[in-house]
Amino acid sequence: MGAAKAHRTERAANRDFGMGTDAEAVRPPGWLQRVLIGRNPKRTLVRILILVVVSTVLFKYVLQPIRVEGGSMLPTYKDRSVHLVNRLAYFCHQPRRGDVVAIRLEAGEHVMYMKRIIGLPGETVEFRHGRLYIDGRRMNEPYLVFRCYWDHDPEPVGTNQVYVVGDNRTMPWDDHVKGRGSLDRVVGKVIL
Amino acid sequence: MKSWWVRAILLAALVAIGIWGWGAVFPGPEKIIRKRLNAMAKAASFSSKEGLIAKAWNASMVADYFTENVQVALEGPGMQQTISGRAEVLQAVARARSALSSLSIEFPDIKVTLAPDRASAVVNVTARGKVSGERDPYLLELKMQMIKAKSDWLINQVETVKTLS
Repeated sequence: MGAAKAHRTERAANRDFGMGTDAEAVRPPGWLQRVLIGRNPKRTLVRILILVVVSTVLFKYVLQPIRVEGGSMLPTYKDRSVHLVNRLAYFCHQPRRGDVVAIRLEAGEHVMYMKRIIGLPGETVEFRHGRLYIDGRRMNEPYLVFRCYWDHDPEPVGTNQVYVVGDNRTMPWDDHVKGRGSLDRVVGKVIL
Repeated sequence: MKSWWVRAILLAALVAIGIWGWGAVFPGPEKIIRKRLNAMAKAASFSSKEGLIAKAWNASMVADYFTENVQVALEGPGMQQTISGRAEVLQAVARARSALSSLSIEFPDIKVTLAPDRASAVVNVTARGKVSGERDPYLLELKMQMIKAKSDWLINQVETVKTLS
């Protein structure tokens, strides 16, 4: 008699706390619930929160996704292709020649230039018959595929600047966006 | 204990809604300038389907965003143009509408720096233009000076900033 009363009391308490009876507790969650929110909703919520925070930090401050618009970097980077910018690439060292970088504009970072560094701080950049010369020495550019016919007098690069240009140099000199950019405008190195 | 958490979350939500509502009802100068520039970009854009009356109306709408003696100096790859005064702005806009079949202009980034007297502002804008038939979009970095005239912010000066010199 006493045992039966105790059992009823436990079942009532379980109902009060929303735990259900033993038969209800062992019932597995439906397939829809398992697909949508998993077996344990609390754990799923925590996982979602962690995923959102990690993704936000990762893709905003470490690996920023960008989409190429235009043919300035052809054939290395095709129009409308998507790539990642490593924002921490120059945390420990300065940009190097040959690096493809993203350069931000003054107003913000929704639109950036994607160019290749050819001239480093303090150097002089020159083009003769489409060939690149740095401080008077001819440079090898294995990434170039299209022919280039540029001729441009030596141009000094400031101590806090880099000289950037696209890989597609088929257009006339004046129609191609290139030149000296401040080092603090370099957002990061384009990878992948 | 649990009810305190709920109350705190509700309070925080109410405060957030209040701040958002205040900003929506009484927007600051930065927000007004951003909204105005985006509206101008929309008015300056046009499609090939636009009729003659709509073209003329929208061209006059664009000119209304400038002061009477505005100075515009644009320079880009293969392009250089200087405009003085609102009347010339209107002419330039009308010329562009007759020369191009369609043009899409947008300002993805707008950075507003208000003067201490809050009656003028320097605005850095990234302008992106897409002309039909051309693969690459035009990208210009602009520096504008805007002044407050009565309740409206008008563009008084526009010049191109060379990100890569």
